[in-house]
Amino acid sequence: MRIFSHTSRPSRRGFIRQLLLANETVVPAAKERTLVCVFLRGAADTLNMVVPYGDDQYYKSRPTLAISAPSQNKDNDVTSLRLDDFYAFHPKLRPLLPAFNEGRLGIVQAVGTDNPTGSHFEAQDQMEHGEAYGRIVGGGWLGRYLRSRAAAELTLLSAPLSAVAIGSTIPESLRGAPTASAMESIDEVQIKTPLDDTAAVSSVLSAMYSAEIGVLNQPGKTTLDLLKRVETLRGTEYKPEGGAVYLDDSFGQGLKEVARLIKARVGLQVACLDLGGWDTHFFQGGSSGQQAELIWQLACGLAAFDADLISNRDRVTTLVMTEFGRRVYENGSLGTDHGRGFAMLAMGHGIKGGKVRGKWPGLAEEEAPGSSTLSIGGPSGLKVLFDYRSVLSEVLSNILGHRDLNQVFPNFHPEPVGLVG
Amino acid sequence: MNSSRRALLKVLGLTGATLPLMGCERFISSVTKQMGQSIPPNLSVAEEQQIDPAFHLLSRAAYGPWPGDLDRVRTIGAEKWIEEQLAPDKLDDSACDLRARRFETIWHEPGTCYEYKKPVLREEITRHTLLRSVYSKRQLFEVMVGFWTDHLNIDLEKGDCIYLKPSDDRLVIRAHALGNFREMIRESATSPAMLVYLDGKENKKASPGDVPNENYARELLELHTLGVDGGYTQSDVSEAARCLTGWRLRTGWRKGTVYFDASHHDDGEKRVLGQLIPAGGGAADLDRLVDIACSHPSTAKHIVAKLVRRFVSEEVPASLVTRVGKVFTATDGDIKSLLRTIFGSDEFKAAKGLKFKRPFHYIVSSLRALGADTHAHQPLIEYLQRMGQGPFQHPTPDGYPDRAAPWLGTLLWRWNFAFALTSNRVPTVRVALDQLAHAIGAIGPSGGSVKNGLRPGRLIPYFIGRAGSAAELGALNDYVGTQRVADVDEANYHAELVALVLASPAFQRC
Repeated sequence: MRIFSHTSRPSRRGFIRQLLLANETVVPAAKERTLVCVFLRGAADTLNMVVPYGDDQYYKSRPTLAISAPSQNKDNDVTSLRLDDFYAFHPKLRPLLPAFNEGRLGIVQAVGTDNPTGSHFEAQDQMEHGEAYGRIVGGGWLGRYLRSRAAAELTLLSAPLSAVAIGSTIPESLRGAPTASAMESIDEVQIKTPLDDTAAVSSVLSAMYSAEIGVLNQPGKTTLDLLKRVETLRGTEYKPEGGAVYLDDSFGQGLKEVARLIKARVGLQVACLDLGGWDTHFFQGGSSGQQAELIWQLACGLAAFDADLISNRDRVTTLVMTEFGRRVYENGSLGTDHGRGFAMLAMGHGIKGGKVRGKWPGLAEEEAPGSSTLSIGGPSGLKVLFDYRSVLSEVLSNILGHRDLNQVFPNFHPEPVGLVG
Repeated sequence: MNSSRRALLKVLGLTGATLPLMGCERFISSVTKQMGQSIPPNLSVAEEQQIDPAFHLLSRAAYGPWPGDLDRVRTIGAEKWIEEQLAPDKLDDSACDLRARRFETIWHEPGTCYEYKKPVLREEITRHTLLRSVYSKRQLFEVMVGFWTDHLNIDLEKGDCIYLKPSDDRLVIRAHALGNFREMIRESATSPAMLVYLDGKENKKASPGDVPNENYARELLELHTLGVDGGYTQSDVSEAARCLTGWRLRTGWRKGTVYFDASHHDDGEKRVLGQLIPAGGGAADLDRLVDIACSHPSTAKHIVAKLVRRFVSEEVPASLVTRVGKVFTATDGDIKSLLRTIFGSDEFKAAKGLKFKRPFHYIVSSLRALGADTHAHQPLIEYLQRMGQGPFQHPTPDGYPDRAAPWLGTLLWRWNFAFALTSNRVPTVRVALDQLAHAIGAIGPSGGSVKNGLRPGRLIPYFIGRAGSAAELGALNDYVGTQRVADVDEANYHAELVALVLASPAFQRC
């Protein structure tokens, strides 16, 4: 343990050692909850995912792109899938129907930000930072959440696998977390040295990184801790439960890694995954095509994850968000331009599912295309009725038991959404 | 072309057909060695407490020093070196050319590229970029190519971009990397790859009901010119999109080339950023729009701030942005003048060792410091991809981020790269550590089972441009002390020690 002597107090060492023995009772059940955040990058057109087939305006605005209303014929994969008298799923969301019907999957309509720029990057940054437009708060919302909990539960939350991003980069939302790691799979988290003496090398790296006073100090420590921690997990074959079949794409495989970490009970609090490619200005497609393929990836991934967690469902909540929705009317190149509000998906523990929550704001064209009086956020996007932080607040307080929301979303007063029981 | 190079090319031409590919590359490796891509017998190292100014310049205006570069900058002086770099065509780059020029697809027009398979196109443009970055003597030019490649980002994997990016790289990025900003943006606006990547080719007003596709118009204002806080409105985006209607790509004969289709153009009057563009402008609407956007005061500020962030520090000094901004306005966006002002500034000179190298910079600077021999095959490229910076792979139009935070999760992969590289375990990449160690005077008697040890006191300064700190020296000397008593293989021991320097925090910075 020499190499970690600068970070480990005896009590923590003992604690981690107990964790390493995989004794499930070590971590109090209430604290072994994991929040999984999926970000659909590029502004997903949720109007074609949670289809408002009950509103004629939808069909008028999208003569070629609209998804047709549900039909009685259950075998077709062209018409939408009925959720209630007004909404229906895109046909490629079929794998998620059971989770919706059994009440594990919920939807909130007309969520969004007050970001007026119409810029993907600005809007993503704002959401990941958990800010109101132009009101900069330090760090990401998950970073602040973990940081504010860590004050009370330091040992648990500074464990090297408490926050994991699947992929090669750590998202803005985790900025400021006590620790965060990016990886594609835990199998790749190892150091390979010419003399095969990891301990000697780690010792040198530890000495040099702990002497850093700049930004590299913490990442160096996190990386060395992580290496130590995953040693026992690596190389064990993972067998999904519940008949789960993950697709071979990086999203499905990423969710599989998350399930693996959850079941290994390593103290995973937050996991972040991205699914990109939703910026469908051109040739978006309808029941099949560009967006349909992404929806299929999303649905298959989440459905497999849901099945795989059959014996751990009381520990995991998954949120699916995007930076903004798209225009109600299609553009001249069979696509949709940037809009405003979107539908957010939430699945798992604590979610009052089986229902689309929030009022339908309607699709009235308040502003005609080409008008010079438009707000910069773009005309005729879905009106935003819920600030995205209201949904996140409800999950943090009612599911994860976080009391001090002001530290996560300063000066924000959440509205009740009704998503969490 | 000098006579030795002509002779070499002749030999290559005669033997090329008969040698298998790897044999040919081995031959190029040995030829380029004769042409100067080698480790000189003696190299000076910078041993002051502060980072050496010449080392600092080479860390920012180049992808780090190649063996011998530090001595050269110290001899001719920073100013002269910068002027040399600002006139890249006058620098003989034939050794680099031998490695990098032979990829066919980078020379083709879009139409011809459609005849190649995607993996070939992807491999060639990626290897070409990586090889130029490692071996070119026109280092500042390559650094700027990287900068503009991010600024005018195009992801090979979107639509047909992979067929069109090679010519975009040549005719937009490389043609203007040290030229005029406005001309580069104008070229980019009708570059086939950009018309596909940001849907410009779909932006049309063919019938009264057509709604413009705003994708490119928005990014032109938000990312390429004014910047997101540059003061444009949604109406400017919509109006700009109208100006840009009608640019299409041929689909049959001369597939992938651009033409203007007046019948798809919205020829009405437009008003962009307060300026009127009269009806009937046709194709010239695009030129007007580019002029208006490029001469907007926000553009000078936005572009200069990005350059300063790249070359000086993440927190951009406002005073420098103002000064360089004036140069931008006075020279109508002359990129060389901007760089000259930045590198001559006190802010630049003071900002030593503050930037966190992005993965591409980290890998290229490691290869350069070691004088590595590579032809940039897939195993090397995979390291870049694993760290999230594969060339031409950034999916969104903002380009790879130029801030430290998003890359802080890549340390483990950097460490593993360092260990693999120094022990010759990155397939197809070769380094000669002993030769380098001799040149910098780091090798010496060690005692114990290792006959020859490496002296951390010489190694550290060579790689980071200053004397080792107490912590750095302490950690590495401890390591040397423990290995001395163990029965270890000398080559691996040397590899591990050098890798530890490449893995140190100081070498992650520049």
